[in-house]
Amino acid sequence: MLEITPNTIAFLVFALLSVGGALGVVVSTNLIHGALFLIVSLFGGAGLFVLLAAPFMAAVQILVYIGAIAILIIFAVMLTRSMTSLSEIFNRQWWISAIVAVVMLGLLLVGAILPVWGPSGTNAMLPVSDAVGTTVDLGIALVDGNQFVLPFEVASLLLTAAMIGAIVIARDNE
Amino acid sequence: MLQLPSLETLNMGAALPAISIAAWACILLLIDLWIPKDRKILTVYLAAGNLVFAFIANLLVFNQSGDSFMGMYVADQFSGVMNLIIIGTALLSIVLSFDYLKRVGIERGEYYVLVLFVTAGAMFMAAANDLILIFVALELLSIPLYVLSAFRAPDIRSEEAGMKYFLLGAFASAFLVFGGAMVYGATGTTNLNEIAASAGMIIASNSSTSLFLLLGAALLLVGLGFKVAAVPFHEWTPDVYEGAPTPVTAFMSVAAKLGGFGSLLRILVVGMSAVTMTAGEPAVWQNVVAILAGLTMIVGNIVALSQANIKRMLAYSSIANAGYILMAVAAAGSPGLANEATRGALVYMLAYMFTNMGAFAVVIAVERANGGADLEHFVGLGKARPMLAIMMVVFMMSLTGIPLTGGFIGKALVFATTLNAGLVWLAIIGVLTSVVSAYYYVRVIVNMFLRDAEASTEEATPGYSTGVQWVAAVALGGTVLLGVLPTLITVLTDRVSLVASITP
Repeated sequence: MLEITPNTIAFLVFALLSVGGALGVVVSTNLIHGALFLIVSLFGGAGLFVLLAAPFMAAVQILVYIGAIAILIIFAVMLTRSMTSLSEIFNRQWWISAIVAVVMLGLLLVGAILPVWGPSGTNAMLPVSDAVGTTVDLGIALVDGNQFVLPFEVASLLLTAAMIGAIVIARDNE
Repeated sequence: MLQLPSLETLNMGAALPAISIAAWACILLLIDLWIPKDRKILTVYLAAGNLVFAFIANLLVFNQSGDSFMGMYVADQFSGVMNLIIIGTALLSIVLSFDYLKRVGIERGEYYVLVLFVTAGAMFMAAANDLILIFVALELLSIPLYVLSAFRAPDIRSEEAGMKYFLLGAFASAFLVFGGAMVYGATGTTNLNEIAASAGMIIASNSSTSLFLLLGAALLLVGLGFKVAAVPFHEWTPDVYEGAPTPVTAFMSVAAKLGGFGSLLRILVVGMSAVTMTAGEPAVWQNVVAILAGLTMIVGNIVALSQANIKRMLAYSSIANAGYILMAVAAAGSPGLANEATRGALVYMLAYMFTNMGAFAVVIAVERANGGADLEHFVGLGKARPMLAIMMVVFMMSLTGIPLTGGFIGKALVFATTLNAGLVWLAIIGVLTSVVSAYYYVRVIVNMFLRDAEASTEEATPGYSTGVQWVAAVALGGTVLLGVLPTLITVLTDRVSLVASITP
């Protein structure tokens, strides 16, 4: 029987956020609400990553998915004003989404229950690899002269160049 | 814990040329703020001065081969020669740009900063020995080029060029990243030397891992093939080349190819040369690259026949030229031929650089004098501006590959190594398409000399500024010198050996 530990409660909360948010995305007729529900769902996913002892993935989930992608979606919705409120939940392509969703769910269920992609169930407690990578390791790797300092610096150059480029293109000509 | 490495262990000196350009680009961005609008030529001098510095620094470290940043960056003779060509391209196009930007009214300091960023990106690409660095450097090369294509922003064609280039370029980058991920998944490393070490084993084991490796290599080829405008990834080229400001077209037609082929040669020759079905056979990618090369030469040259706009024609010509360089890449797949083929490709790229920059310089001059770059605008140029027309004749002859020009030496070396690799059919396609290409190159010459302009160009506006004049003259000198005295460059390229860098 399931024993109630703080971990289990936290899992239930995050799972509820994740699934409930996803449900909200699908059923809300207001696209802005849908995008906000998406944030809730992604946040739940980030919480699950924390429970799985993957804090870096959780941070990336929040920074990239909530901080960038969800906000981008909201901007896109706001820029196409006519789309903000929909009268219909279904459109003509609903069956494609349905098939994809059902197949995905099926695959995930099979993967979670049967050991097709590696051990499952209680065996899943085994670490995937012996090398334990933490966020600290990752941070050091990025600035270590033996590892990835050069791509890291080139990437910062690249971001600078991209920013200059965006300004150059967007600026009015005098 | 993190240990701060010393400059010596990093061997930063070997990467000095590329680093100095990258760093100076950032500094120049700040300096440019204090340069008044009417004296932007100072920015040009500062950018060009940096390039000259990097050129000299590169010559100084030319023989000092070694890894920098622990195998991320390889400073060998290959990157040495590539850097010389890349810096030369940047220098010529900066000189070419100043007058054009002023005339079109888009004179902004950021232009030169972006050119420096592209230059640094191309140099990092040619020297990168790691898939991650190759990807990041490719983006450093590409993103400023997207912006530069759209630099004439209110102009609708320039905007279209930038947008098209950006969307398709982002698409191609995704292929490259995905390919890199596949290769990493198969070999467990992104370092090209280590990939080479494990690739042979993986292929020999004949497990499903080898499929991932092959798929990864194919996707990398797609990503880089887009950058160098190889068929069938070339669709963006004519529109972008036509719409972008002409000096940008000149710059990117050479710089993007240099970076792309630099990385392609490193990935295929250093990383993947052990990917063979049976030991001693040519690498499995040889046939794929050879077919791409053949298609690229055929499509590029044949579509170029029907172009009325010189910029579009040169765009298809640049596609065709990518095909000739790909021939050398394909030949590099045969065991023992990698170094010879690499040298051939390097000489070809140098000749192409001089010729193409010169041809675009003439196009800019004609655009300025006659208001456009259609074939019609070249009519009667031989009478109106004999010097300009004669230069154009030399560039067109060099693109065709007529003896005593650089283009001939490049093609001769590339064809020779292709024959040595046993790819006779490819060499035949190369020769036949060269003959076809003569038709549209000669058509330019015919239009300049044998047709008279209907309307006489009485008031001779100053045809070309000193900057354009200089670039055309330097390009002419380079093209002819390379054609008459090829030893000047083969002295340098003969020391290039990509394969030797496999043994650490």
